[in-house]
Amino acid sequence: MSAQPTALQKSQASVSKAPLTVVSDQTSASPSIASIDEIAPELSGLLRVLTCGSVDDGKSTLIGRLLWDATDLYDDQRETLRRGKTVDGGNPDFSLLMDGLVAEREQGITIDIAWRYFDTATRRIVVIDSPGHEQYTRNMASGASHADVAILLIDARHGIKKQTRRHAAILDLVGVKRVILVVNKMDLVDWSESTFRKIEADFETFSWRFGFWETTVIPTAAVSGDNVASPSGHMPWYSGPTLLEHLESLPSRVTEPTGPFRFPVQTVLRDSRNDFRGLAGTVSGGSVRVGETVVDALSQRKAKILRISTMDGDLETASQGQAVAIQLDTDIDVARGAVLSKGDMPPLAARVLEARMVWLSETAYDPRGSYLLRTATDLTPVSNLKISALLDLETLETHQADACATNDIAIGTIALGRTAAIDTFTEAPETGSFVLVDAITGGSVAGGVITAAKAEAAEADENTFVLTRAMLERGLNADLGDSAQSEAEFRRRANEVALILRAAGINVEIENAPDYSI
Amino acid sequence: MTQPISHLDLLEAESIHIFREAAAQFRKPVLLYSIGKDSTVLLHLARKAFWPARLPFPLLHIDTGWKFRDMIAFRDKTARDFDLDLLVHTNEDGAAKGINPLDYSPSIYTDVMKTVPLKQALDKYAFDAAFGGARRDEEASRAKERVFSFRAEGHRWDPRRQRPEMWRLLNGRLGAGETVRVFPLSNWTERDVWRYILREKLDVVPLYFAAERPTIVRGGQLIMQDDDRLTLKPGEEVVNRRVRFRTLGCYPLTAAVESDAADMESVVAETLGARTSERQGRLIDHDQVGAMEKKKQEGYF
Repeated sequence: MSAQPTALQKSQASVSKAPLTVVSDQTSASPSIASIDEIAPELSGLLRVLTCGSVDDGKSTLIGRLLWDATDLYDDQRETLRRGKTVDGGNPDFSLLMDGLVAEREQGITIDIAWRYFDTATRRIVVIDSPGHEQYTRNMASGASHADVAILLIDARHGIKKQTRRHAAILDLVGVKRVILVVNKMDLVDWSESTFRKIEADFETFSWRFGFWETTVIPTAAVSGDNVASPSGHMPWYSGPTLLEHLESLPSRVTEPTGPFRFPVQTVLRDSRNDFRGLAGTVSGGSVRVGETVVDALSQRKAKILRISTMDGDLETASQGQAVAIQLDTDIDVARGAVLSKGDMPPLAARVLEARMVWLSETAYDPRGSYLLRTATDLTPVSNLKISALLDLETLETHQADACATNDIAIGTIALGRTAAIDTFTEAPETGSFVLVDAITGGSVAGGVITAAKAEAAEADENTFVLTRAMLERGLNADLGDSAQSEAEFRRRANEVALILRAAGINVEIENAPDYSI
Repeated sequence: MTQPISHLDLLEAESIHIFREAAAQFRKPVLLYSIGKDSTVLLHLARKAFWPARLPFPLLHIDTGWKFRDMIAFRDKTARDFDLDLLVHTNEDGAAKGINPLDYSPSIYTDVMKTVPLKQALDKYAFDAAFGGARRDEEASRAKERVFSFRAEGHRWDPRRQRPEMWRLLNGRLGAGETVRVFPLSNWTERDVWRYILREKLDVVPLYFAAERPTIVRGGQLIMQDDDRLTLKPGEEVVNRRVRFRTLGCYPLTAAVESDAADMESVVAETLGARTSERQGRLIDHDQVGAMEKKKQEGYF
């Protein structure tokens, strides 16, 4: 890993000055392609990096410094910095690069997650900058859910704080597996090794209990760039990588398929001109090969993969992260919301879920509220949402509770109005995570991970009203045909009826489609 | 796949996923097509997302009447070649009142001839979702933009209404009066767009390539005289210069750069070596401080 190249694209400025191969006639031969590969290579990987920490810890400065030293800034952005005020003894105010919205700039605080992009010689680094303050736990959690690695930034003078523990707990919750603790402002503790080693030990003491695969601790001074992109001359006792070196050595997003094969169906593509019927979707786990048998988790119907199609031609295999269209050898009537898997380790056709969730909405949990559960490509009415406990992010203890509000981490039970294909987050993250949707406003009220799933409802409720297929077919859906689109519309209408009845105080379940077909 | 997955493959797959989610979740989407390089990539990804089926939504071009002639020709050819449903909308009222980019300030012109007709067209056809080519790397206020960006009634963008987005899950359930802008290129950079055009061998408007073109110097910028509506001020003269355009828009507001890059490879080489971010070529941004954020709140993309 450490042998990875770390040279940045410092050559860009000189490239622009170099005489270009000029071809005045567009029809004549193109210039040397080799030079294009040099300037515009496809990068061999992509890494999404979350940065969390507060403004005081120098976070914006750290990211600004990374961007500055990676020479990916355009001249006018550099000019903005030069024109802006200087801080800390004449260095440019790097934070000007990061704080976007006018309102935030005026408040001098970052409240929303911001995305930044830069290229090293080998890969694209996507920086997801998230706010650190406690009142923005939800922003941080949503930012972290996109990250492959997280930078926890702390001030060397203050060491590990309660906030650091809280951040680590959020990272763990949303599934971040690699964490870098950046101990910043080392210049203000006289580059002291003992200060650094104590913080390092403190961090190891509390981080072991999380599900992180790898933790790394790096001492930096972002203002002067020490150990950010270039090694520090002030800390000879530190022999580890610079932050940038480390970011280049971590495995890229989707290097190889992990976990069981999952294919949540997004939509059905048809082309009558050549009798094409393809299930469009992105492989969300594992991989699949032409000829293999796949099964629809809800109907248990099986079919063989006939073709894996893309506009660029058919593929033999499709792996995690690839967007394709799958043609099956027999029509098993699957539609949007279905999840295809291989026979072993299929998702569960579940009715009741145990979950941990970050409450995102400014409106508190309402036991009488109408909610929908968005999983990979499915949207299922929630027949009952019960909060049982809240997680204290600093002590990591749970406390019994029956309510929750903004920024809370809640533990609860979600009963679904119909069966859905569900995974647990640890087994298949993409089909084991969800967003809870307010059926009326449409807002995303919570985001969470599924910790357990059960096929049967906990207990038969005498007061539950069942919307049967026959009931719905007779009137409300009498105009619908028997195509997959019609089935999707059938389910949409059934969901809406269930929500209305639930708002009227009636517990509702929707009868499943027989065989999940028409 | 036999080849290793590059960062462009990952970006492409993500964009296709977004297109398919939006098409499945919204009742009546439309693709906002502005003919430039970002629209070219956007359209190509949309075709990939639904291939071999036809695009399940139309394209909408807001025509100010001041686009380069080459752009309009390219637009119409593209629609024919790919069998697309193309809708063109102009603010006839603004055009009748003679609102033009020469006599009116960029902010008034943009509002009347771009923002207003966009809202008119979205309302007229009752589109509930509109695909756009905006990227988070373009400008500071866009760095925080969502993939599904919600607009309140009147197409107003309100930062407080934006929904947190987690994992790959996209929540497109609309509240009353809400519509959505969908940005499949959110995570692309300008470099990626060019690299992708090169890799996929996409046709772009010829204006991106250097050629002898009649230009004047105005406000320190090179402006092409695309037709005789651009009249000369005292001291100005039309000179044939070898120029190309880094972005395309209304010709009196789009600055050319002197260049010899006459084919895609040279353009990409020049662009990726360039040290000025692309929005400097667009005159509307320098009009006011925080210009883009204000325009966004008013409903401009």
